[in-house]
Amino acid sequence: MSVAIKSAIDDAVIEELRAIFGHDDGRVLTNLSSRVNRTRVPAPFPVHRWADHMPDLAVLPRTAQEVSEVVKLANRRGIPVVPRAGGTGLSDGAVPLRGGILVDCKLMNEIHEVDLVDRTVTVGPGINMLKLNEELRPHGVFYPDDPASYPCSLVGGRIGTGGWSLLGARFGHTRDLVISMEVVLPTGEIVEIGEGGGRKLRKSSTGLTLKQLFTGHQGTLGITTQATLELVPRPEVEFAAFFAFEDYITAWETMGVLTKSGLATLAGVVLFDEWKIDYLRRDDEAYIPQPESVKAVVAVAMYGRRCEVEPASKEVMRLGRSRGGRYLGDEISAGDWASRHDRYAIPLHGRRKDGQAVLMSWHCEDAALNYSVLPQVREEWHAIVSRYRERYDIFDDWGMFAYTSGAHKPWADYLVEIDVGIWEQRLDDETWSAWVDCKREIAEVSLKYGGSITACHGATRAGDAELVPTEMGSAWPVVKRIKRALDPNNVMNPGKQSLDEAYEEERL
Amino acid sequence: MADGNGYDPNGDGDLVGDFVEQWRDPAYNCFSSGHKFCREVCPVTQVTRNENHTPTAFHANIVAMEKGLLGVEDVADDYVHCTQCGACELRCPNTLMAGDFYRVRTRTVDVVKAMRALMVATGNEREQWKLWNERLAERHNEPVLGEIPVSQEHVADWADGLDIPVGGETILFVDCEAAFARTSYTRAFAQLLQKAGYAFGLMREQWCCGGPAAEMGYVDLARKHAEHNVADWRAVGAKRIIVPDPHDYIAFTEDYPKLFGEDYDFEIVLGVELVNELVKEGRIALTQPVERVVTYHDPCRLNKRKGVHEAPRELLRAVPGITFKDVDHVTQWSYCSGGGGGLPIEKPEITEEISRRRVARAQALEVDALISACPWSERPLSDAGAAAAEPLEVLDLFELVAQSAGIEVGGHTHMRPELQA
Repeated sequence: MSVAIKSAIDDAVIEELRAIFGHDDGRVLTNLSSRVNRTRVPAPFPVHRWADHMPDLAVLPRTAQEVSEVVKLANRRGIPVVPRAGGTGLSDGAVPLRGGILVDCKLMNEIHEVDLVDRTVTVGPGINMLKLNEELRPHGVFYPDDPASYPCSLVGGRIGTGGWSLLGARFGHTRDLVISMEVVLPTGEIVEIGEGGGRKLRKSSTGLTLKQLFTGHQGTLGITTQATLELVPRPEVEFAAFFAFEDYITAWETMGVLTKSGLATLAGVVLFDEWKIDYLRRDDEAYIPQPESVKAVVAVAMYGRRCEVEPASKEVMRLGRSRGGRYLGDEISAGDWASRHDRYAIPLHGRRKDGQAVLMSWHCEDAALNYSVLPQVREEWHAIVSRYRERYDIFDDWGMFAYTSGAHKPWADYLVEIDVGIWEQRLDDETWSAWVDCKREIAEVSLKYGGSITACHGATRAGDAELVPTEMGSAWPVVKRIKRALDPNNVMNPGKQSLDEAYEEERL
Repeated sequence: MADGNGYDPNGDGDLVGDFVEQWRDPAYNCFSSGHKFCREVCPVTQVTRNENHTPTAFHANIVAMEKGLLGVEDVADDYVHCTQCGACELRCPNTLMAGDFYRVRTRTVDVVKAMRALMVATGNEREQWKLWNERLAERHNEPVLGEIPVSQEHVADWADGLDIPVGGETILFVDCEAAFARTSYTRAFAQLLQKAGYAFGLMREQWCCGGPAAEMGYVDLARKHAEHNVADWRAVGAKRIIVPDPHDYIAFTEDYPKLFGEDYDFEIVLGVELVNELVKEGRIALTQPVERVVTYHDPCRLNKRKGVHEAPRELLRAVPGITFKDVDHVTQWSYCSGGGGGLPIEKPEITEEISRRRVARAQALEVDALISACPWSERPLSDAGAAAAEPLEVLDLFELVAQSAGIEVGGHTHMRPELQA
């Protein structure tokens, strides 16, 4: 058994692919521009080594059958396959590491069925959540998967990465919202993956629960070709409140009080630290033209029926102020929450050490951490980034967030992010390598405090990937066995998450 | 390399190098942010779902060109896939959140125009655009109309019987599409002004505004037409140009000022704003009820490019008897007819699909007419409306308002007899 390395695509393979696509050449793309434009995602990219990451070609399937035929061909010939939906991820799930066939799912964006009785919507993986919700709106329901990339990311990528939602504390995250799906396995079979029983069942105890295995695998176990999703009653009201604090610890304590309040309509609580507020001050339209004394902000959002949210909002106002938090007013609270998707990275906010503005790309290093360790991790992460910034004046610390992360259980788990600006135009081998080291140090801190390297982006990049076996610990052999059983030729998104190790023992 | 289309920003003959130098930093502003919020509002991306046809690719390609990965010939077809509607620029967080502070905004339309100019200058022309512009050079009016006699001889045929003088301080500029194809549009507008007692004249010799040529990258040809038109305005002592068509409005407020600098001192008046004012001032009385259920299509060049969305709605609501089922102008950022930016000339099948979807959205509102305010949109929308399983009429706002003002408009909405019926 060999590890598929750089692909062996020749004219015969291309001809076979054209036949699969009925000689619709608009869907088998071998030209340079199509390959260049399917190489990267918004995560920092070694732009000086762009060509190393290009797929050999891209295909745009419309059906599961087409995906299946492509994967069977790739599996037979040992050609890497890389699934790509929106290509909006913050790790390298959709970035080819060994060329191969890129399966671009964007044309599979149909709504197959809206079932208002059993409350499901069945879609293709290429549909965007905002577009889906535009269609659902007249029915009084919505699909509440709401990442920062809500206006552009696609359902297939959300499933592949095991996405996290801003409203997850109330409605659940992607894996909680996917009821079942159709998946093309690395060997090309088309299978229905769910809880058991029919594709609209939320809970079953039959057999093994496979659904979790197929959400968050970073495209390494197959390609989702259809998904049946949860429909939630469209909330009647939305309430947001922002509170300012003069120190981080008081803000952190207040967040603890709010998340343990037991309010069922609580959809999210976010803590912005001093560095993040400083970053937001670089934008004169930001809500933080607050005095320098403001060192932390806690944002709370609730969604639901008016009869629930209105009385609960009074309790949120009381708890938010209970330790000295200062309410920032209705305009800032409602307005800033409404623009939450638009402000997650602005290249022009990049600053060199001397204050000069330069265009920086944004890396959002995420981790899953428990409430108790947030203050300590924060200090250690900032210290790491500060050290690299001092040495290489192409990095900038854009501050930290902590978001509630437990689905329906907001009290103890957090998605924690440190945003780092990177001056991409100055990247070379030395600085790229420094960046990878910086990432690894950040991830090691998360592991030291009992956290996970990533809550939602995926541990697919250098700097993270080599730590996956450590984090998985005693379960790592199980992971390897599963990968090898499902993908015997290592064709499905190879090189990610240290999963090549699954094939090493066999080779020996 | 250069064939004399006039694209050579630094005058040094290094066309590709100069292009990359000029656009690299704006391209990185997109490349580095990677939001991609522009994609799902892009009318072309919505149809083709091809990552090459996205606004982000238009910027990323430039970074890749700088790295030596791509040449003009590799990306030329990508840049055809754009109607220059401007939705991507509005939806870009770099415009929304930081534009004022840093005095920059995302300029994808300008990037596309510059690349198309580079394509022409480097021998990467598109076949249909080349043909179109060759005909424009011969006839000086929009030549896409097939059998319609397009020539200077016929450029004012639309005004038959309206007794409009030539020349004067206020000149009505009539778009080619409106002068030859949808003459009812122009007749309605002219008669509304006459009803209000608003004095205006026609040009002595009206050429195409040059905007479409500029959109397709034919810089010299666009300049030649602009120079002709401005000279004609000056020759009759014009001070004010009345522009009903949104595409001309872009040419006269964005392209012409760049070409002529400070010497360009004409007052440019947008037709829909003028008529709306005349109605509000009581100079045009809307007395005839129009008992129809309608929705309004925000023309991209009014709504997305110029922020004009209030005046047409006010005007529509002023029509007695009308039932207006509105869709807000921000939702309409992702709507388009597909008629702009030369798309229907090179990729008619994409235009057709964009229009089909727009008409279907209107039909979902259970209306009996779709009202637009741009003759360029009205051709593909009318085609889509006629082709729908249950046909939907597409009317221009001026035609509707003229009807309510008791004007017998005359002219025709379409040149093709089978659709005219």
